[in-house]
Amino acid sequence: MNVTFETATAATVARPQGRLDFGAAAGLQQQLEEVIAQKPVALVVDCAQLEYVSSAGLRVFLVAARAAKAASIPFIACGLQASVREVFDVSGFTRILEIHADTAAALAHLGTPAA
Amino acid sequence: MVNLIEELVLLTIDDDGSVAFTAGGSGFRMSAIGACLVELNNAGRIDADLDAVHVLSQEPVGHAAVDRVLALVAAGPEKPVSQWVRQLAPISGEIVRLALGSLAQRGILSQQESRFLWVLKSRRYPLIDGAEQKEAKLRILSTLLSNDLPTPHDTVLLGLARVGGVLEGFLSTAEIARLDDRIENIGGIDLIAKGVEMALRDEQEQIARSFLAPIC
Repeated sequence: MNVTFETATAATVARPQGRLDFGAAAGLQQQLEEVIAQKPVALVVDCAQLEYVSSAGLRVFLVAARAAKAASIPFIACGLQASVREVFDVSGFTRILEIHADTAAALAHLGTPAA
Repeated sequence: MVNLIEELVLLTIDDDGSVAFTAGGSGFRMSAIGACLVELNNAGRIDADLDAVHVLSQEPVGHAAVDRVLALVAAGPEKPVSQWVRQLAPISGEIVRLALGSLAQRGILSQQESRFLWVLKSRRYPLIDGAEQKEAKLRILSTLLSNDLPTPHDTVLLGLARVGGVLEGFLSTAEIARLDDRIENIGGIDLIAKGVEMALRDEQEQIARSFLAPIC
């Protein structure tokens, strides 16, 4: 899985692309944990290019959200495609994660306008 | 390391060595299968989505109970988690016996006649590779009483314990009611755990519908 990172003033934005399944989960988890360890102001995971999330992939979001919360770093997911949104809804993740429509909305929530 | 199916079984063992009656219910039988599926997912043998459980590898993980479920899932056509859980629930007795055997083999429980007693009277796991693992009941209580997000393992354990009727063994009705929001929000936030919930609900709905069938 390809993941791009963009570090802005108010947040680091991660953009995973493709399928987040068992094969991709460990890599994305490691990358997100490394970003969290650098203590960004906030971490936004823009899922606009994320086509699929499996049970293993979903746990990456829990691990990252947990690590971010422990470090007092706001953690937001945004841009969920319909199929991914359904996975989040069914599993109950929408109850524990901050989710917004897109990066602009996420950054606005954080109190910073999108670039 | 004590795995998920072993921890779920340990939660049903009372301090006097008897097994909680809730372990005989549909919810627990399905939770036991779900625990094995989660272990298989963690070990990279399966992955799951809303449509099906996908077998990634048939290589045994080395735990008899978990490998039993792997063999059955690998031998069948792909189907959703909830269908696998309902289909395999009848063998949950075998799964639980295998998990108990594993716990006894590793010196966590000792079998004395019809009871399984904790070897360490204070309900502790022996050190494994020098590392201490906090006992499941304590971790569940800790998870429920904090505002932190739990680990994936603990959220699944809480969810399966809830579906399996195990929480009632160490939480009062009043405590469960008081913690209901927390249990609902963080218990079982996992696709496989949700599949177990769906399986139980589907079975209950099927039974309820049968009550309404016309009497000819």
